[in-house]
Order: sequence, then C-alpha cells, then structure tokens
Amino acid sequence: MVSIRATNVGLRYPVPRDVKLKGDTRTTVGGRFFAGGGRRYVTALDDVSFELRAGDRLGLVGGNGAGKTTLLKVLYGIYEPSVGSLEAEGRRDALFNIGLGFRHDATGRRNIVLRGLINGWSNREIEQRMEEIVEFSELGDFIDMPVRSYSQGMSARLAFAIATSFEPEILLMDEWIGAGDKDFQEKAKARLEKMVTKAGIIVLASHNNSLLGRVCNRIISLDHGRIAWDGKADEYFARPGVK
Amino acid sequence: MIELARRGLSDLGAALRLRSVWWALASEDVADSHRRTVLGPVWPLLNYLLFVGTLILILGDGGGKAHFTSYVAAGMLVWLFINDTLSMSVSLFAREEGFIKGTVLPISLYVLRQTLVIAIRSFYALLGAIPVLLYGGMELTPALLSVVPAIAVLLLTAPAVGVLLGIAAAYFPDLRFMVVNVTRLLMFLTPVFWMPAGAGGWRGALYHWNPLTHYIDIVRQPMIAGTIAWNSWAITLSITALLSVAALVMLGKFNRQIVFQL
Repeated sequence: MVSIRATNVGLRYPVPRDVKLKGDTRTTVGGRFFAGGGRRYVTALDDVSFELRAGDRLGLVGGNGAGKTTLLKVLYGIYEPSVGSLEAEGRRDALFNIGLGFRHDATGRRNIVLRGLINGWSNREIEQRMEEIVEFSELGDFIDMPVRSYSQGMSARLAFAIATSFEPEILLMDEWIGAGDKDFQEKAKARLEKMVTKAGIIVLASHNNSLLGRVCNRIISLDHGRIAWDGKADEYFARPGVK
Repeated sequence: MIELARRGLSDLGAALRLRSVWWALASEDVADSHRRTVLGPVWPLLNYLLFVGTLILILGDGGGKAHFTSYVAAGMLVWLFINDTLSMSVSLFAREEGFIKGTVLPISLYVLRQTLVIAIRSFYALLGAIPVLLYGGMELTPALLSVVPAIAVLLLTAPAVGVLLGIAAAYFPDLRFMVVNVTRLLMFLTPVFWMPAGAGGWRGALYHWNPLTHYIDIVRQPMIAGTIAWNSWAITLSITALLSVAALVMLGKFNRQIVFQL
C-alpha cells in the first residue's frame, strides 16, 4: 500500500560561514533565518505534517522560496528532515533534473543505460525499456551517435523519454515537464497524463493553477516553510483571490 | 560512535550493492578522458614511461645502476596512485554536486567511483612498469606474490582517504589548496626517487617516519629486493585500519549533511 506520512517535519541548514548577513533578515521570499551555536541557519521547512494515501494528488503552492522544492526533495530522500519524521511506502520517483548525468561523449543508447542504472533499474529492466524509449524519442539512427551531436531539443526528447518510461508508485514533480517541438509536446503531454493517472500518489509543485486544478485533488499552500493552508483542491480554488 | 559507524557501513553497503552504477560511471570517466584521441588508453601508460624515464636518465647516473631503475619504476607507480587519491579526494563531493543534489544514491558510491577511476589509470601505468622493472633486474621470487595483497591494501586505503578528505574539504574548502601544495612537497619528501643513503640524517628520518614510505615499500621491496617489508606491512595495516574506522564514523555522521555544504 503506497503512503506518505510526514510528522512535524522541519528542515534547517547552516548558512555558509563566509556569507555575511546584514541587518534585517525578515524577507518576503525564502525560509526564515535564525542564529544558534555561533552560526546562522535557515529554516526552510517548519512543522510540516500531512498524510497521503493511494489516489491522493497533492498540489504544492506558494511563492518563490516558500519551500515547495525543498519539501519535494525531503519527500524524495535527498534531504533528511532535521526534526520530525517522514515515512514513505512505495517506490518514489522524481521528475526533477531529468537531464542529470547525461554524458555528452557517449551515445544516446549508452546514456539510456547509464540513466537507467542511476534510477535503480536492473540490466533486464533497461533492456526491456530500451526499444520503447528509443521509439518514443523518435531519434532514429541518432540514438547510436554521441549526445554531443544532438540539438537541445533532441537531448530534451531523450531525457523526457527516459524519465517517463517507468510506472512510479509515488511520483514527485517540480512543475510540469515537457520537451521538444510542437508535435512532440502533444505526445509528451499525453504520455505524462497517462503516467499521472497510473501513479498511486502524486505530489506536484507548481505556480500554474489551471494545471493544479486539473491534476490535483488536494492543495497545501506553503509560506516561509510552514503550511499556511491545507485542504481539498476545489475548496482552495473557490477561495476569494485564488484563480 | 558505534551507531555512526553502523550508519556509515549501511551507506557503504548500499553503494556496494549498486556496483553496476559506479562501475559504469567510472568506465565512462576513463573513456571520456581520452575519447577521440588516437592512442586512447595508451596515454596514461606513456605518461608514466615518460616521467619515470626522465627521472632515471637524469638522476640515475646515466644508466648502469639497474637497482635505481626498478626503485624509481616501482616507487613512481605507487606514488602516482597516492597522488591521484589525494588530489582528487579534496574535490570529490564538489565534483558530484549535481548528483548529490538530484539523486538519492549513497555518497560512498562517488568514493568508489573515484577509486575505480584511479585504479584503472594505475593499471595502465603498471603495464608500463612491468617491462621497466624486468629491465631493471626484477626477479620472479615468491616474495613477489605479496605485491597482490599490497595492492589490495592500497585499494582499501584509497576510499577511506577519499571519505575523510572529501568530507573535510566540503566543510573547509581551503583544504583543496592546502592539499595541492602539500602533495607537491610530499613527492620530494617521500623516497620515490631518492634513497635513504646510510639511513642517517634528514633523509633517514623522512624515510622511516613518513607513512607514505611504507605504503610504497610493501609494493616496492618485493619487486627490487625479493623480500617482504614486514615492518612496513605492520605500519600500513595499522594506519589503514585506523583510517577505515575513522572514515566509517565520518561517513555515518556526515553522509546526509554533505548536501547542505555544496
């Protein structure tokens, strides 16, 4: 059974020693600063609690630096909470940094293998998905050329095809991703929609309310790393001032 | 402390299970470094031969001293491994910033990736060293077999150093510049191309008190003298054991914190 349970999750990290903060550190963006033990810290997340079960589609909203991406990274496991606890059951996959680790001197095919290994796929899984990825990317014979020879759009197609070739149980997304020219964008959209429908749990951080309204059934609004609002998506969008 | 070491071990264990990942990344690293060149992997071998050849020509009194030839050939082989380990470790985690901030791979994986890259390079240097050593009079004695465990000791020490220096440099970036300078000096302070004549004075003291001497001697002595450097074995095994324990504790303490330092 897929589920995520965040209990009083807090995340703070030290400000680099050579950064000098002047005067007023109350800001409209970002986490809150505080001092302790001779160092300054930023509280990026503070007392965040929620529970998600299969079928939940959570939208994260909030201004720049409100903690959306940080929370996604905590949910994925890149950041360990400084306080509180996070329990997650089910395979977590993230769609941020989809071009990470592309080797420009290696062929497209070799890059599929590398990316697959980094994602934790077995050699058999990679083999099984190879042809489907190649086909979806429409790169044809270019798949056996070094990625260095690809245009930006071609690299993006390959990255997208690899990143969306699995069926995640828990899918974490930072903004909707897309790639390629107009035709490919349509295809990419359909593929992502299908993936989203199949996933057990989705957490999507976005500034795009119409996208959130379409995909999500629950909204958490973050402000300076704290939950400012948590409830059903239709209630959120029915609030005055929210469009 | 034990809890930290346990956390370190579980990070290392996870990385060992993902060996296909660091194996693939390391082979790409090595291949990338000489892609599109004509000589390809022969380059590290040539680099080694040029360096060692020059030292032997200039410092070896114009040939005739066969012992000196194999002394330098073996010493330089280990020194290049040590040099790569020290100089790459201080930028280890900074180099992997994209991965560390974008994936949930255990950080030991990057240490193992680096160690494998250095090991592959050293392997090519070894191919160059063997003919030089044979020319220098290396005899095939039973003691020569001890080179295999000696290489294993080096391969075990390198990840421990990688963890310790990598983490330290992530917190104190000045260390990067310090280590570059110190490594340059260490090449002269370590008996790579000079011998402890008479074993007295400064040279003698450096020879015995520099721990790097002993890491070189466990490989070099069976090659040039056909004997096993028991004293050096005791010293290197103790140092490696200490470094490994320290590395596991540091790994356990900082493996999830490194991401905030990059």
